[in-house]
Amino acid sequence: MATKQILRAQLRSYPANGHSAYVPQVRKIVLEYCQNLPSSTNARTFILNDLQRVAWQNPHVEFVVKQRNGHEPIARGFYGCVASFCDTEHSSDLIVVNGRDKVIPLQEFEVNGVEKKVQLLLDSSGAKIKQLKRGRIVESTTEATRGIWSGLHVDTPFKI
Amino acid sequence: MGHVSKRLYSSASKLAVSTSRLKQFPPKEAILVPDSGKPNFFDPELWAALQPPPTSALTAFAHRIGLANVLSSADVVRRACTHKSFLNLHAKYYPSSPTPPTNANLATLGNSLMGLFASEHLHAAYPHLPTRVLKAAVSAHVGPLTCASVAQEMGAVPLLRWHRQPTTPMSPALLHSDALASIPRAITALVYQEISLQSARKFVQSFFLSRQVDLRSMIRFRDPKRALIETVEKFGRERPKSRLLKETGRYSNSPVFVVGIFSGQDKLGEGFGSSLKMAEYRAAEDSLHRLYLTRTPDHLLQVPSSTFPFKQGNIYKTGLEVPYTPGVLGEAEILYASSGRSNIVAPKRPTLEEIEARREGLDV
Repeated sequence: MATKQILRAQLRSYPANGHSAYVPQVRKIVLEYCQNLPSSTNARTFILNDLQRVAWQNPHVEFVVKQRNGHEPIARGFYGCVASFCDTEHSSDLIVVNGRDKVIPLQEFEVNGVEKKVQLLLDSSGAKIKQLKRGRIVESTTEATRGIWSGLHVDTPFKI
Repeated sequence: MGHVSKRLYSSASKLAVSTSRLKQFPPKEAILVPDSGKPNFFDPELWAALQPPPTSALTAFAHRIGLANVLSSADVVRRACTHKSFLNLHAKYYPSSPTPPTNANLATLGNSLMGLFASEHLHAAYPHLPTRVLKAAVSAHVGPLTCASVAQEMGAVPLLRWHRQPTTPMSPALLHSDALASIPRAITALVYQEISLQSARKFVQSFFLSRQVDLRSMIRFRDPKRALIETVEKFGRERPKSRLLKETGRYSNSPVFVVGIFSGQDKLGEGFGSSLKMAEYRAAEDSLHRLYLTRTPDHLLQVPSSTFPFKQGNIYKTGLEVPYTPGVLGEAEILYASSGRSNIVAPKRPTLEEIEARREGLDV
């Protein structure tokens, strides 16, 4: 019985980010602000006072400050770049290189709120946020054909 | 924004050029100037390939993989991320600038080191694995595709400087994955040079040898029953005998048989199937898997390179050593139906005639 040839140059292993070494996916955060409009005031205060401390605490991320007059303040996070040959279907991991970016508008936040949003970008992996139970409010292994039991709608209601 | 600028912005974002560092974007040569009949040839991909990655991206990369003390300056990272194919491009467009240092030597050294670490780790972990499967497993753990994948996960794709090269009669085509694969190899060599062999081994262990590899799919049999009979004889045990352990639905359309193969009183393996032959075949495969995939537990795993001293420098000088007990040397697997041939097929490169025929085919 002939067996199919294994081509060694095509063999590969699949990612396990975090199993021994963890590589955070966030690579760059761009903070855009306007010099004149009042909606950018808190963003500007954050950039002047707190951004350097946050950047020192996260040396693995590039921080870019961009002036964009006439536009609302924004924090944009860039996550890992994808190469065309890589196949991520077999990875059992949740952390996958996706090459996406996340944009958060900052006009309605206070200075500590801006910091919280930057921290959110730093903690993320760039993956789309999926609902755990989309549409299914109650999850059960069996479907309730006659509705869910209620202790009040029986002949002798349950008494503690 | 004009349509030229828009297209440049989208190309730039795809090619990941950081425009914040540039003096002028779009570059002067990209903007069409109504000149006296001078044609303007501008290739955005080529322009993007020539831009150096910003220093902040390089230092952030060093911190991201936890090697900020090894890759201490941006120049070191730049060297590790420059493939030797970039030199042609650089010399063509910047002939007066000094040639940038490349990762060619580092990649070769790192490749050898990774091969060493992977081979000794896998041999120590799976002492009875057949030789060809061991070689395939080493390729799976530290081969070109894995190295390229690791480089991508580290975030080295926008930092790589390379130039695509087509197939020639002398050399195969240079692929993006091959250029990317040189980066983790260069980093391994840098860890070895800056710190020590043991640190390089720890780096390879955490980034390469802890990844998911399916060894079972690499073990393939032509005749597992025959292989099992000869293997059992080699180990000096009783001839294997297959016995039906359980069965159900023998005359129905979906029977299930569970067959065990015994050597005397010991059960070597078990297999299920919808026919007796299929179950026996699977039992033979299972017995050989249980032998070949025996794994040394992690707390007993010791590799020969752990006997080298911890310090930087000449590994052949005596220094502080770790006590080492050699592991089990497994029995070599039996060969059958090979008639002395190794059955290794080397990939063929196209000859001059074939290349010309292909080119003519494209023209026609």
